[in-house]
Amino acid sequence: MFFTIAVVCVILALATFGFYYYKYRIANKIQAPKDVVVLYQVGRGPRAPSFSPFPMKLETFLRMAKIPYINDHAARFSSKGKTPWIEVNGQAIPDSQFAIEFIKKKFGVDSNINLSEDDKAVARAFLKLTEENLYWTMCIEMFGDNLEPVKTVIPYRGFKLWLTVTLLRRALAKQTWGHGIGRHSKDEVWDVAMQDMNALSSFLGSKKFLMGDEPSEVDCAVFGMIAQIYWHMPGSRHQVYLKENLSNLVDYINRMKERFWPDWENVTLEGTGYRSDHGELHVPEQMKKLNGLSDFSRENGKG
Amino acid sequence: MAFFKKKECGKDYPKDTVILHQFPRGPYAPSMSGFCIKLETFLRMANIPYQNVHAYKTGPKGKSPWIEYNGDVMADSQLIMSFLSDKLEIDLDKTLSKEQRATARAFQKMVDEYTYWSVLLERWVYHRGESCKTITKLPSLVVWEIGRRTKNMAYAHGIGRHTQQEVDLNLEADLTALSDFLGDKKFMFGDEPTEVDCAIFGQVSQVKYHVPDAVKAKQFLKDCVPNLDAYCERMKERFWPDWDECVTNGFTKEATK
Repeated sequence: MFFTIAVVCVILALATFGFYYYKYRIANKIQAPKDVVVLYQVGRGPRAPSFSPFPMKLETFLRMAKIPYINDHAARFSSKGKTPWIEVNGQAIPDSQFAIEFIKKKFGVDSNINLSEDDKAVARAFLKLTEENLYWTMCIEMFGDNLEPVKTVIPYRGFKLWLTVTLLRRALAKQTWGHGIGRHSKDEVWDVAMQDMNALSSFLGSKKFLMGDEPSEVDCAVFGMIAQIYWHMPGSRHQVYLKENLSNLVDYINRMKERFWPDWENVTLEGTGYRSDHGELHVPEQMKKLNGLSDFSRENGKG
Repeated sequence: MAFFKKKECGKDYPKDTVILHQFPRGPYAPSMSGFCIKLETFLRMANIPYQNVHAYKTGPKGKSPWIEYNGDVMADSQLIMSFLSDKLEIDLDKTLSKEQRATARAFQKMVDEYTYWSVLLERWVYHRGESCKTITKLPSLVVWEIGRRTKNMAYAHGIGRHTQQEVDLNLEADLTALSDFLGDKKFMFGDEPTEVDCAIFGQVSQVKYHVPDAVKAKQFLKDCVPNLDAYCERMKERFWPDWDECVTNGFTKEATK
């Protein structure tokens, strides 16, 4: 009797797993033309193109490097269990930074072409400060005792919202403990965050972009992260501090927004002209004359 | 009972002296932990009196190094350095501009929050067997447990989700960045060392001394970024004239300091 129940439970569990695996990894996958990047990411954010910094970094990079791409907003996860990730000509590349390295090699693009070796080194250091340090302080701030602000940012409702926030909170608690930063007190973490933001602001100074007058690769990451603070961390210490003390960083993210996201109002859920771009081809202006590509979005359909 | 008696500052250990709790000395460098070397190098650079307690006992945050100072217990090398700098009005970065301080912070974060994890994976996960033969005398069961915990923590961090080849390349990219920024300077920000040199020396010394030879980055350091290798030697000569007394020389002797 118990054996039968156990077997039934296992079968049900396998069936549920199989259903979700099919739905989220296999079904309705976008068939992209040759050399068009499929960018897998979660759905759009309420006030910025994503409620996570890494899809924003990757998508900004694609725009900066003028690579045609199609968004898949079905929240499919990569083989490393994370998102965003990309697929090019059927080849999957998980992790936003490895995706950028792959794209640079494949398409022969280099947003760092005007940087000296010294500058590239500094850019890498700031990339790590932003993604390996500041990012975790933001997670700790948003997934602490008060979850109401984060619930206004993740664009789900009801049970899906509750489940997402609960699972994320649990995962982040484990991740920040393993990372080490989760062992500090809230005040210690806040001090780290403040110093990181100060460092970014001090280094930016009066420059237009982090490394000079023209944007480079690291700007995608820093923009992605600071944009979250500005638009998607309502009432947080990070947001208040940024707005009150670091006006050059605020000007900087608006500069990046104007430069690479002229369609901002179309790709944010609370934007004045929001429409879903799932399955839609984003083509850089100069490539629109390429045969067949400009008609693709109408033929492929949105999933 | 003495076992349960709390240590008293001024009685069990001297006042105004940092009691530095860290792992026992390493075979080829003063510690197998980049953070312990970082903190101890800082204390030497800032001329802060200290005495060592070598044990595997971890501090209040479950990690090492940690300190006791005039009755206060503190953990985390960076927090300790900030605390001591404030308390004793020390500023090892006084010659740096605001922009340089920001850059220094970025490099400190890179080595402590990223390079560190690559080294850990190389040593305790990818090349555990070789580590057991060359750089540690801990029993294999203990090393297996360290490897298991490292794998879990690295997975939580994110870096543990990458392949070995990706981690190798990232480690080389970190070393390249450090080398490119250092250039032909003596230290990261010029002719005199600053605080960030402690962190960079701490982590890079692990690549130089405390990973098995099979780790590609070890040879990469010698062959491809020799200025960074020379920098390590420079830091060692400047702040560790007693280096030989602080290593076990491949477990052939006791470290006397």
